[in-house]
Amino acid sequence: MPVAKRDSAARSVLYSDGMTAPAPLLAVEDLHLHYVSGGRVVRAVDGVSFTIERRGEAVGIVGESGSGKTSLAVALMRLLPKNVVRFDGSIRLEGQDIRALSEDEFRREIRWRRIAMVFQGAMNVLNPVLKIGDQIAEPLQLDGRLSKQAIRSRVNELLVRVGLSPEFATRYPHELSGGQKQRVVLAMALVLDPDVLILDEPTSALDVSVQAQIMNLLKDLKQDPGISMIFITHDIGLASDLCDHIAVAYAGWHAEYGPAERVLLEPRHPYARLLLASLPRLRATTPPQPMPGEPPDLTNPPAGCRFHPRCPYRFAPCDTDVPPPIPIGDGGHARCWLNDPGVAGDLYLAHLKEPAGVSHD
Amino acid sequence: MTDSVRATHAPAQETAAATATATAPLISLEGIEVVYQIRKGFFRTGQVHALNDVSLEVAKGETVALVGESGSGKSTLGRVSLRLIAPARGRVVFDGQDITAAPEESLGWLRRRAQIVFQDPFSSLNPYFRVYDLIEEPLIIDGVPAEERRQRVYRALEAVDLVPAPRFASKYPTMMSGGQRQRVGIARALVRDPDYIVADEPVSMIDASSRVEILNLLRTIQTERGVSFLYITHDIASARTFADRIAVMYLGTIVEIGSAAQVIDRPLHPYTRALINAIPEPDPRNRFRHREVVPGEPPTSGAFPRGCPFFSRCPDRIPGLCDIDRPMLQEVEPGHFVACHRVTDNVASG
Repeated sequence: MPVAKRDSAARSVLYSDGMTAPAPLLAVEDLHLHYVSGGRVVRAVDGVSFTIERRGEAVGIVGESGSGKTSLAVALMRLLPKNVVRFDGSIRLEGQDIRALSEDEFRREIRWRRIAMVFQGAMNVLNPVLKIGDQIAEPLQLDGRLSKQAIRSRVNELLVRVGLSPEFATRYPHELSGGQKQRVVLAMALVLDPDVLILDEPTSALDVSVQAQIMNLLKDLKQDPGISMIFITHDIGLASDLCDHIAVAYAGWHAEYGPAERVLLEPRHPYARLLLASLPRLRATTPPQPMPGEPPDLTNPPAGCRFHPRCPYRFAPCDTDVPPPIPIGDGGHARCWLNDPGVAGDLYLAHLKEPAGVSHD
Repeated sequence: MTDSVRATHAPAQETAAATATATAPLISLEGIEVVYQIRKGFFRTGQVHALNDVSLEVAKGETVALVGESGSGKSTLGRVSLRLIAPARGRVVFDGQDITAAPEESLGWLRRRAQIVFQDPFSSLNPYFRVYDLIEEPLIIDGVPAEERRQRVYRALEAVDLVPAPRFASKYPTMMSGGQRQRVGIARALVRDPDYIVADEPVSMIDASSRVEILNLLRTIQTERGVSFLYITHDIASARTFADRIAVMYLGTIVEIGSAAQVIDRPLHPYTRALINAIPEPDPRNRFRHREVVPGEPPTSGAFPRGCPFFSRCPDRIPGLCDIDRPMLQEVEPGHFVACHRVTDNVASG
């Protein structure tokens, strides 16, 4: 395992028996981010929790358009638009609640230095008239702490780290292919040595063969230097290529969250289950099954469980009572009443027991 | 499996023609070459070769998937088959009629019988038109009487499951989800009762949960109406679900073609293998393994390489042969064609 760069013992939680255990690298709890748009409140992030225990772990946020996955990233980077009407919950980075920091403190200590982000489509907004090396070096030049020589060697080191040769420093974006540009964008996010890297659909503009190259690179960066990642994607297969934990986002919620093995093999939320069953597979024995219904309107989500109008397994409480994140026992949770024996009775885990999705060969 | 596999060395043109089923093909593309003129700087122009000697047939009621990455020429080939692009060389035959050089004004019949469904259901539908007007428009062009138009518009809406039809007919595209808009795009193609539909990445901009519905709908249209489809996609997994045959394209050529099962279960071209290896299927074990990848990216401009188009990235290339001599499609088992000098080795290694 990679060595912790910072002294994490300084930020640890005190257990009741007096022993201390290191706080998780990142713990997000009950996070809300609501906007107002056209006079209506959009509940883009509405009570979301997940944890990255240690360095080098990746959590995947999988969801369709409008499920609130990019808003979650915006909240973590605190790049909030002006129309935000609610932003609360806790975001703890090694125990410190960074959501409570002032904007000035957040900018000086957290944004880009400890949590960095690769935006969707970032490779298309590289400055066309600046050399690659200068674009990567910009934050270091503004920082003013490193000499010119040191900055140049840092840029070279980053280029090598993302699989490019140092000569790329003197090239312009138009001389690069799509995959090379995406590597540059990664190098730019890594320049201040962050602990957590948020990746928003980092391969969506790339062809599959190039996507596979970038995913291999991300796997390397998890190992060394041990970067933790929040990987936002609409493609649950792609999430399985990188992520130790997976959250399945639906209408501002995490319908399901847990270890990749559980979420992919034994999903506890019908939406996760149906999503997996709807994917065309290369070597499927059964044809993909269509998902009923249409995604909800986030300004007016359905009462009770937000998935209930589309859910083939709904029962008595689903159209009236909001399911809380029900713990599964592996650190994960599912917002589905079928997981609560007290509510579901005989229906407890019914329909959810057989493994869905992945067929092991 | 490999026992039944047999390499032959017939010329590409003849063997490609032999891929058709017993009935006469609806579409036949022979030796198609397309060259685009592009601007290079203010005064100079350059040429980009989009298709290099491509032959393909689509039988009546058959779905052929064209699979490839951006720049492989798959959309260009689709547009050539509709004569939206005239090829520089080669022949385009629709239902026995050579339309390669037919003047546009003589192609009214083709514009009725052959349709296209576009990738982007957000920009391909005029937002100021109601759904009814969008679907009715082609019938006005065809001179269909008003009462018959109304019936056909409603029938088309019902065929794509936008029911009750009158309710959806009065909506504007912006009031609908991506999946519903794409159904409107399909209804617009169906309303002219075509024999042939080119579906150009019809689900790539739609949410995952709606994709299967759209593909199932196209499949139903194909089986119930006997429509032939050319399904253009970068997603080889969806091609397996939807297509009878798959043609894999790379840099303006077809490098492998066969039944969906042949191409996916027994891929023989190194590029097809790479494409399949690169697809992440949901499996928690994926994160513990590096994918075998082919290095580099396809060249984006200029003339075709002299030898194999995949030479610069191929893990199995034979220098001195593959970069000089362009491999032609060879039939390795009935209906399964591969353009690779290594094909006999790859057949042997399965």
